[in-house]
Amino acid sequence: MSALPPRPSALSEPPFYVGYLPVPKPLAAFLWLAVPIALSILAIVAIATARSQRDPGGAVWNDAKAREFHGIFIARPYPMLLVRPTEGDTSKPDSLKRDTTSSSELFLLVEMGKHAGRDGLSAMDGKPVVASGWTLERDGRRMIELEPDAKALALQETSISVPPTPVIVPRGRVTLQGEIVDSKCYLGAMKPGEGKTHKACATLCIRGGIPPVLVTRDENEARVYYLLVDPSGGPLDSGAWPFIGDPVEVTGDFELLGEFRVLKLSPRDISRR
Amino acid sequence: MSTGYVAVQWSRHKRLYDASVAIGIAIYLGAFVGVSKAFWAGEHGISDEVILIRALGSCAIVLLHIILCIGPLARLDPRFIPILYNRRHLGVITFLVALAHATVAVGYYHGFGVLNPFRSLLTSNTNFSSLRAFPFEILGLLALLIMFLMAATSHDFWLKNLSASTWKRLHMLVYFAYGLLIGHVALGALQADRGSIGPALMFSGLCIVSGLHIAAGLKEYRKDRGAGTLVVDAGEWVDVGAPDEIPTDRARTVCAPKGERIAVFRSAGSISAVTNICAHQGGPIGEGKVIDGCITCPWHGWQYRPQDGCSPPPFKEKIATYQVRIVGGRVQVNARPLPPGTPTTPALASGGLS
Repeated sequence: MSALPPRPSALSEPPFYVGYLPVPKPLAAFLWLAVPIALSILAIVAIATARSQRDPGGAVWNDAKAREFHGIFIARPYPMLLVRPTEGDTSKPDSLKRDTTSSSELFLLVEMGKHAGRDGLSAMDGKPVVASGWTLERDGRRMIELEPDAKALALQETSISVPPTPVIVPRGRVTLQGEIVDSKCYLGAMKPGEGKTHKACATLCIRGGIPPVLVTRDENEARVYYLLVDPSGGPLDSGAWPFIGDPVEVTGDFELLGEFRVLKLSPRDISRR
Repeated sequence: MSTGYVAVQWSRHKRLYDASVAIGIAIYLGAFVGVSKAFWAGEHGISDEVILIRALGSCAIVLLHIILCIGPLARLDPRFIPILYNRRHLGVITFLVALAHATVAVGYYHGFGVLNPFRSLLTSNTNFSSLRAFPFEILGLLALLIMFLMAATSHDFWLKNLSASTWKRLHMLVYFAYGLLIGHVALGALQADRGSIGPALMFSGLCIVSGLHIAAGLKEYRKDRGAGTLVVDAGEWVDVGAPDEIPTDRARTVCAPKGERIAVFRSAGSISAVTNICAHQGGPIGEGKVIDGCITCPWHGWQYRPQDGCSPPPFKEKIATYQVRIVGGRVQVNARPLPPGTPTTPALASGGLS
């Protein structure tokens, strides 16, 4: 049996803390130092984490005041409004003004929340209407969120200057890489309106009728948008929903509908990258 | 220690503790929101709800890291024990912050649609076979449920009624919840942002938590290996050392052959031995001190009489005791634990029995 060496640390008298007794002075001094240091570390971590967020990109939801738009209603594949651009439209920030010389502008029409479509839309197809709501815009692409009032989309009684109806121009089969997003969030309702954390929201939006869009990048890293429809030209098939919000590669028939790039797509032609 | 149950046994220390936590959370959320609004404004502004979701979520993760670090820090340096004292309040507050994160996230991302938000949460993404598309929300939901379970049973009522060992096992689920949250963040926010600062912070947090646990474990291992495992008398008696090697009103902890730790105290000229495990939360009694004639646990101040392991009246807690003797100027403790609350005859520090 050998003797155990005495432990110097055990022989000294460290301050002993009991929660219901006064804090020993050396411990109190330590805590007065440790707590502010801990609070400072919290602030540093908060700042670093906040700074690490990605720029969601320039997009605006003009939800302060509703505006009226006059144009031709298009029911398929998604509710849209064909409008002759207003001379000197000052509602858009310069950075969002689009680079186009088109004589008409197509607005996607959506409802409040994660919905699109309302009763009686097919009866308005191809007719002049007045729509009242708030615009969302990104990269020059604009959308109207209709006011909840039933009269927010109504047939126009008086005649208007009818913009030329866009012609569908087939451009052939293409393979593209990008992300399927819901157009409403991506155009400014939620920022960011893309990526993994937004996947569930985008799925819910598209399920509710918000038009799906494939966002790709061109050779200059500029965003290019493709409105997604099924091969017959109707709303995108629900088989595509599991791929929403993921990096995907898709193959489909590319068409131009006026200024809109439209991609006819079957779910079997979508794969995760 | 309590003879009855009250919601919170407030003390000045608990008030200061909770106030510090509240200030810390306010600083974190304020700094996060302030920086987010300052750097991403106008057309490039991040949605207010997204900022709030991120601020609350990251705050909960940071608080969980602090909770996980407190235990090993207190093992490595007793000066951190005051932070351990009220850790359960920090746990409940962390759960509430995480719940606020989940509430805003579910409402914002899963609300306003054609599905019930909870149905959307559970069914909107079922890509369990794809790491890229994995429904990270489920991991966060499971972690939140565990945190709820822990917060709901954090009161001493549950500690008493579930038994200390069951309660401890239940609350060890915090490590499982931590793993789930790492998955929740890695497969969610980090995958979406694709930056380098987020992963670096998470990895640093994981390294700090793991490193502190390993360091505390090594310290305990070395302490057990070097503290009186010398067995005499057919393995029944364990050598503790000379009486004066035990500091007055303090203990020396030794390991019995089967590994259980025994705290041998010297106080008022007598030497007594009790289990090293407090009946409350399993605190290391051997690191306690004899105050007013009672062994006092360093974690929450629960007290036991050295001679019989019973809490002083009106309290009724009991811990196991051990026989001690002094042979040839050496303190020896019998490795067989006596039933909790069994009176023993303390040995006199000057030799012999009292």
